[in-house]
Amino acid sequence: MKASRLEAIRELDRDYGIFYSLSDDESLESAEFHFSAKDNLTTVDHETTAGSRILSGYRPPFDAAPVESLRKAGGALLGKTSMDEFGFGTFSVNSAFALPRNPHDRERSCGGSSGGAACAAALIDGHIALGVSTGGSISCPAAFCGVVGFTPTYGRVSRHGLLDYGSSLDKVGMLSADCASIAERFPLIAGPDPRDPTSCGHPEHRERSAARSVGIPRQSLEGIPEEVMSVFNDAVETLRGDMGLEVIEVDMPLFRYAQPAYYIIATSEASTNLARYGGMRYGARGEDLDTHFDGYFRQVRSAGFGREAKRRILLGTFTRMVGYRDRYYVKALQVRQALIAEYRRAFASCDMLLAPTMPFVAPRFDEVEAMSLLETYLADHLTIPPNLAGMPHMSLPCGEIDGMPLGMQLTADHWHEDRLLKAGLEWERRFEYPVPEARA
Amino acid sequence: MDSETVRRVALLARIELSEEEIASYSEDLRDILEHFSLLDELEGLEDYGFNPVEVADVLRDDEPRQDIPAELLMRDMDTYQDYVRGPRLS
Repeated sequence: MKASRLEAIRELDRDYGIFYSLSDDESLESAEFHFSAKDNLTTVDHETTAGSRILSGYRPPFDAAPVESLRKAGGALLGKTSMDEFGFGTFSVNSAFALPRNPHDRERSCGGSSGGAACAAALIDGHIALGVSTGGSISCPAAFCGVVGFTPTYGRVSRHGLLDYGSSLDKVGMLSADCASIAERFPLIAGPDPRDPTSCGHPEHRERSAARSVGIPRQSLEGIPEEVMSVFNDAVETLRGDMGLEVIEVDMPLFRYAQPAYYIIATSEASTNLARYGGMRYGARGEDLDTHFDGYFRQVRSAGFGREAKRRILLGTFTRMVGYRDRYYVKALQVRQALIAEYRRAFASCDMLLAPTMPFVAPRFDEVEAMSLLETYLADHLTIPPNLAGMPHMSLPCGEIDGMPLGMQLTADHWHEDRLLKAGLEWERRFEYPVPEARA
Repeated sequence: MDSETVRRVALLARIELSEEEIASYSEDLRDILEHFSLLDELEGLEDYGFNPVEVADVLRDDEPRQDIPAELLMRDMDTYQDYVRGPRLS
């Protein structure tokens, strides 16, 4: 990478708020490839804040496993991409720091929570962005920014060095301008890692034949606006006609319950994971150590966490409380188990599932501001089911509405990532992805 | 969620809230919990697991090991003579 190219990226960053921290190391030029990491993955040479003031100034002493793997393979880390605080958001507006702006219209959101990652994938040539998804944080920004967002099976990639949001939901994946780059680099970060026991349950790798059929869940299309459906239906025709896939309708009645179940599990886990931030071990510290520890932690946490983080901590603490645990937390775990069984039944009749990724194109910031809290949470209803069930999924650009990209999301059974990647490669031979004007 | 519950939960979560924040979170959380009550429609579910896929136990040999040098771990902490400074316990 030439110094002038790094300068061009720096300029883009000033306009689009891509990075929390960007390298100034000009030796990046000689690297085999370059990549970025979402700012909730630890890195020895950049601060790691997960978009939160409570981690301001934190310099981790080790690299997260996926970062370590890409460096070992000759990759150079360009920087840390901006995100919603700890991954809490759908539009990347909940960061204590940079606000990423959509590569196709700066007045619009990049989506979240891996907003900076999707923006980097769209604007920087040949770029691989490491993203993290808990409930749709890779698919959503990929769809809004017109790039490919790939989320593997839960446990496929080590979470060692990831600042947890929901430990049973978090998945490290990749975003890039095309599926070919992801298919090439993804194997570098996949595989068991004894430092993360949840990554050690992989079945033996088996190459599968390409998918022959796609199921469209009837429930996913309920309430989708006509303009989105029209673009989506054109894409389905390409899949059916040009790619020769059999397209069937499937019934997924439990999708309706995935959204509440997801928010209960995610916030329950977040509230315990975030208990570690008390101003002693990492990042921000309190001013007065002479205070009683309860008061000290309260002071640090109240000043360090943003509004949405506090809301999710309160919600998750409540749903785990004695007297409510069975009604909320245990019930949500049961719904997840039943949903996995429902997916299995669907995969008995088709190889992959398909739906639009988001029910609308990237909203303007004033539209985001005008949304109620529940509307914001409900915006994720298409990305949540595969995330809750730990199923691998991928958002591919499939069209546009008034110049803004729209995505479709393919989902496969646990460990069947190869099917998604094969389908993505076939798709991009037939469909030209949107390219933003500004590029570096 | 009523204000009293928000206050109690905030105390447990060690977060200090102003009266204004309590009122606003109380309203937010009431809406969300109302939405969660959708799950009450589902009956008879029994099985559940804590992870969406099977997880293997990984145990290493019981030998002392220091992966990251202590001074690196302490770099980010307020320390005094190899002790981590913390707030008072009483």
